Amino acid sequence: MPFQLLRFALSSKHPEPRMFRTPERLKGSYDAVIIGAGGHGLAAAYYLARDHGMRNVAVLEKGYIGGGNTGRNTTIIRSNYLTPEGVAFYDQSVRLWQDLATDFDLNLFYSTRGHFTLAHTDSAVRTMRWRAEVNKHLGVDSELVGPEAVKAACPQIDLSCGGNAPILGALYHAPGAIARHDAVAWGYGRGADQRGVEIHQQTEVLGIDIVGGRVQGVKTSKGYISTPRVLSAVAGFTPRITHMVGLRTPIYVHPLQAMVTEPMKPWLDPILVSGSLHIYVSQSARGELVMGASLDPYELHSTRSSLDFVEGLAAHMLDMFPFLSHAKVNRQWAGMADMTPDFAPVMGTTPVEGFYLDAGWGTWGFKATPVCGMTMAHTVATGRDHDLIGAFNLSRFARYELTGEKGAASVGH
Amino acid sequence: MKLLCCPVNGLRPVSEFAYGGEVRAMPDPATCSDDQWADHVFNRSGIPGVKIEWWYHLPSGVWFHAERDVVADRVLRTWMPGEEAAP
Amino acid sequence: MTTRLPPVDGEWIDRKKSLGFRFEGGDFTGFAGDTPASALWAAGVRTLGRSFKYHRPRGLLSAANHDVNAMVQWGQKLNTRADVEALVDGMVLDAINTQGGVASDRLRILNSLGRFLPVGFYYKAFHRPKALAAFWERVFRRLTGLGRLDFSTPHIRTPKRYDYADVLVVGAGPSGLSAALAAARTGAQVVVVDENARIGGSLVYQRGGAAATLDRLRALEVELRAMPNVSLRPATLAAGWYTDHWVPLIDATRMTKLRARAVVVAGGVFEQPAVFRGNDVPGVMLASAAQRLVYRHAVKPMNTAVALVGNADGYRAVLDLLAAGVTVAAVVDLRPAGEPGPFGGAVRDHGVRVLAGHGVYEAVAEGDRLAAALVCPLDAAGNAVTGKVTRIPCDGLVMSVGWAPAAAMLYQAGTRMRFDPVTQQFVPERLGDGIFAAGRVNGVHDIEARFLDGTRAGLEAARHAGRTVEGPMPVVPAETVAPSHPWPFVSHPSGKDFVDFDEDLQTKDFANAVQEGFDNIELLKRYSTVGMGPSQGKHSNMNAIRILAKLRGMQPGEVGTTTARPFFHPVPLSHLAGRGFHPHRETPFHPRHVALGAKWMQAGIWLRPEYYEVAGESREACIRAEVRAVRSGVGLIDVGTLGKLELRGPDAAKFLERVYVGKFAGLKPGMTRYGVMVDESGVVIDDGVIARLSDEHFYFTTTTTGSATVYRELQRLNAEWNMEIGIVNATGAFAALNLAGPHSRAVLGRLTSVDLTHAAFPYLGLRETEVAGAPVRLMRVGFVGETGYEIHVPAEYALHVWDAIMEAGRAEGIRPFGVEAQRMLRLEKGHIIVGQDTDGLTTPDEAALEWAVKMDKPFFVGQRSLAILKKRGPRQKLVGFALEPGASVVPKECHLVIIDGAIKGRVTSIGFSEALGHHVGLALVAPDITAEGTALPIRVDNAYAAARVVPLPFYDPAGDRQKLPD
Repeated sequence: MPFQLLRFALSSKHPEPRMFRTPERLKGSYDAVIIGAGGHGLAAAYYLARDHGMRNVAVLEKGYIGGGNTGRNTTIIRSNYLTPEGVAFYDQSVRLWQDLATDFDLNLFYSTRGHFTLAHTDSAVRTMRWRAEVNKHLGVDSELVGPEAVKAACPQIDLSCGGNAPILGALYHAPGAIARHDAVAWGYGRGADQRGVEIHQQTEVLGIDIVGGRVQGVKTSKGYISTPRVLSAVAGFTPRITHMVGLRTPIYVHPLQAMVTEPMKPWLDPILVSGSLHIYVSQSARGELVMGASLDPYELHSTRSSLDFVEGLAAHMLDMFPFLSHAKVNRQWAGMADMTPDFAPVMGTTPVEGFYLDAGWGTWGFKATPVCGMTMAHTVATGRDHDLIGAFNLSRFARYELTGEKGAASVGH
Repeated sequence: MKLLCCPVNGLRPVSEFAYGGEVRAMPDPATCSDDQWADHVFNRSGIPGVKIEWWYHLPSGVWFHAERDVVADRVLRTWMPGEEAAP
Repeated sequence: MTTRLPPVDGEWIDRKKSLGFRFEGGDFTGFAGDTPASALWAAGVRTLGRSFKYHRPRGLLSAANHDVNAMVQWGQKLNTRADVEALVDGMVLDAINTQGGVASDRLRILNSLGRFLPVGFYYKAFHRPKALAAFWERVFRRLTGLGRLDFSTPHIRTPKRYDYADVLVVGAGPSGLSAALAAARTGAQVVVVDENARIGGSLVYQRGGAAATLDRLRALEVELRAMPNVSLRPATLAAGWYTDHWVPLIDATRMTKLRARAVVVAGGVFEQPAVFRGNDVPGVMLASAAQRLVYRHAVKPMNTAVALVGNADGYRAVLDLLAAGVTVAAVVDLRPAGEPGPFGGAVRDHGVRVLAGHGVYEAVAEGDRLAAALVCPLDAAGNAVTGKVTRIPCDGLVMSVGWAPAAAMLYQAGTRMRFDPVTQQFVPERLGDGIFAAGRVNGVHDIEARFLDGTRAGLEAARHAGRTVEGPMPVVPAETVAPSHPWPFVSHPSGKDFVDFDEDLQTKDFANAVQEGFDNIELLKRYSTVGMGPSQGKHSNMNAIRILAKLRGMQPGEVGTTTARPFFHPVPLSHLAGRGFHPHRETPFHPRHVALGAKWMQAGIWLRPEYYEVAGESREACIRAEVRAVRSGVGLIDVGTLGKLELRGPDAAKFLERVYVGKFAGLKPGMTRYGVMVDESGVVIDDGVIARLSDEHFYFTTTTTGSATVYRELQRLNAEWNMEIGIVNATGAFAALNLAGPHSRAVLGRLTSVDLTHAAFPYLGLRETEVAGAPVRLMRVGFVGETGYEIHVPAEYALHVWDAIMEAGRAEGIRPFGVEAQRMLRLEKGHIIVGQDTDGLTTPDEAALEWAVKMDKPFFVGQRSLAILKKRGPRQKLVGFALEPGASVVPKECHLVIIDGAIKGRVTSIGFSEALGHHVGLALVAPDITAEGTALPIRVDNAYAAARVVPLPFYDPAGDRQKLPD
């Protein structure tokens, strides 16, 4: 048993202090205001305070810490993207992830499980090879493997998927991992709090004050604060915030649903993703199968659940794992994903001076939490985009410089 | 499952429909600036509210307009393009 | 030893049907109508399972489908709820999540390590040193989880049903049945579901020692069963509520998806445990669990009971215990004034000792079962006066201190709830449209009031569903006494007072979590995991809210609740999956492909022959032979999966010019032209052949996978532009073949009267004619680089035409060819495949299709973007490349061109050209390496293929193959 547990038994009172304080009221001004106390916003606050000495910072959250997509996603971490800029960015993220628990002194249940993206068609095999080749060239551990490698990692799988969609191969990404999502937000929150950042929960942003194209302050449900810098890190609420500063963006919101089974004894080691069957699945530290599918097909600013989602996902799960017939779905839920036309985020500076965006994270934001915090902190502190995020600036659309992730996403034949 | 009222086929489950996005006016490509055109091509009004959208009834191939609250997911009315919206 | 009671009026068991089963290796018997838990309890078994974290022995808590600690493995069925599963003869059951059996679970040592394992302990350890983290992870993965999968479990396909109700009533207790009756009397179609094996709800088991409630139930049931518009469905779970009253009903064999016009939620309340040390000792149970054992299963729950109560329901339960012959040693009432109502007097009349203002300080176990309750007075603040503890021997302790609403469906239907201080319960404040609440879930507890409230809700629901409701609505009297105690806790310095039995959470865990800053209900839930177990907080959320409220000095209403998401109880994947459909499309030639040994591949929703297998030949040899047949003889391919659209009307040509990048107004009737479609941002999305049949009549093809979306988008554009055209999707109406090769003209000539000479029927020409007597549209095409004809024929003639062509080509050795051969043939000609040689960002310019783009038109979709992109210049270019003959390093599609360490492009197509004797391919590369002869080093593993840019097409650059002499 680790010695850390000893102190629990040896002290009569619970020896743990508050992870984050609840400040009485907002101050009149801050050097920077971060909207959204999810993983991204708190990470930005943490790195602002730790790496840039900017501690007079408020994080405003209309709900509670980590209550948005941070606490709703299926926690997959990977860096096997398609474009050099994407790979470099996510690879940095994975590196940060691997040391995060030590940085925080908090167990994040970061678990390297290996990640298979299954190909059921020859066109998918081509796309997997494309990703693998780009990844390998950039030093990321990815390779195209045959069905036998999938079988070796998951001997129980039905490679023919009930005869309906035989697995022809897979992109294997050994560093693929999962983590305990809430703890990530708490770790960043605690670290930011310890460095003087104020986290204000149940504090809603009602407006952003712009004068002469510059950010002046923020109107909140708990009063006005003046600040020269505002970072929006609000996932599915991005369009509401950009509207406040008069910014038009390509971001649109669709729900993304997920579901989880009752706990069962561990059997599924890797993370499996199938584009054709619309499945991603991993087994959590609690023994639950955590499953997701594709985005809901139309715009909706709501986290309602739908029955068709569970029906479709259940059917495809049984194609791949027929022996799950008696396993039971315990719960389903949804998050609001802010999507972009090229499946890449919108990050960095904007035409509004002092207003910064960390948005467009769609269905893949969790894995980027650390690197987003690091690069956005740099951007907010210096007023210039961090080198790793130049390709993700909002201005790329007007320039017709969409990121290449859109390339592969549309290669469907 | 949600129900949607096709102006031709009546009330049907949403699985019979495809979403076609918000109804948007195209700027005049001959006179607008490059930036205005790019704005039209890429940018969207992602703000929640009541929107007029394109919807398609798949089995019958009917496109129609729907006025929908995209927060409550409530369709207020549907009509054929070019025809007046029912009150 | 059995504690089975003599026959009890209304019991669910059938004493004539004795059932044998095994549990943990022991043999037991029960009756039909038992659950494993009730039969085991009757047999004196008290430890039914082990808890999740500390592996403490656990017995029966609710008998209401939230006894997560009494889950068993039943063969392939993992996580079977022993408290509600119907007992089946021959069942073999084992408690889940033990090491070495439930009695001597080796992991019970975790119980004594509790001090080391406070709330969230796992966040505070096991990650340092980093080298050991993986070890601890493996340890955790061994300990975690509940039931075990059997990997030989078959894929169970359960057909689904669909149903409709004017009024769906969820819950068949007094309020639900009253609602059903009231709604049905208006003529409404009513469906009543209840998750329990029989209807009746609390009327069955909350009797207060009398028969009145059972009589009421029987009268209601008789009346309802006589009504043709009422369907009573016990053993059916309403698993959730979805938009527009779409409700999945789960029974043992299937899911029925029911659409209702209105829903009455009358699912009642969950009884809530009191929290004190040892409240999980086997023998401590909710009073309603004891009542269920008595009245459903005729099982005496204990011999001597102590009742811990905080409401009138507790006294009613005591009367039920007395009626079952249980000795009630004491009623311990948390309330200083005791019970003012009639049940209080009735209990005292039985001579039962009532200790008002007292609490249970500890439940004491001996040998894993309850032996005594330590009882003491409570001071004004509700704390135990520990100097005055009395030990009361007992083998059962029932808890009746309060209730929480079964409001999950209400939440899902958008109901706003408020905390009602009178009843100490969350009740609906504003209901969603068409949703009605009745009975105890609505905060109405008095039994007469519940009948009335049900009637009211039933009438309101019927009215919402369009029925006529006459007369005044019943007026439901307000509750005056709280059925729930505001603080059912007695603290103990040594803890082991459980709030959440799924997750083994104690009171101090909550205090500690709040101390760490997790001080709102959502954060508290996530940090402590309260309510996240399989019972989803049914017995724990309310007490968690009370603890948090107390710690923060708030009212429960200010703390609020967490969201209740589907499902109400877990639902098997097989029920949700149903039969599992995988629709695919087959062309009309399918039987011929099968007969010829086609190997299939998926192309979008279609099945297409990849190639035709010849016995003893490899895949590659078959494909090469097919290619050879086309190049030197004649081949036939089914191209019927292409999208085929008919366009008619005065504006037809104008319409095509607006949706394709090319021009079609000048296309002569009887001719075809290649067309490329781009999207609004200028990206290539589709291509095809446009044929003009007459001035106002076009017929054109799309890619196989693009057909549905292209057709849909063209319809939308027409709806927007309102031009004078009509479009019809003829994809399924026409079959299509490509007859290609130097002998194709000769073969076709035998089947048609049309003049096939070059002069009469030139390349890209079109004829409406007959082939083998069938009406066809005949197009001269060159996709595969040989003289060729696409023959589009109404689907009903397809097989006839196929057979006629195959017969006519016999002398020339006609050979059917598949998609792979076609890919190679078109590659030799440098023809692209949209989606393979282009990607989601490729413009016509980049795909070497700039020749097809006519910018001098007033408008086409994507035109303005192409003009902007022209200024920017291409980011990549599609080029042809060739390898040296005999090259040893041969790339595959998507291998990368790498120059000076930078990615400069990728292969999009490649194949060995038998006609040329070397490999040829297409690649999308950077614009600066497109000059003829440029070296393209393509990395293949650790070697490089030496490719060079060569001009397109590779094969027959002059197009001589289209000019072979007639």
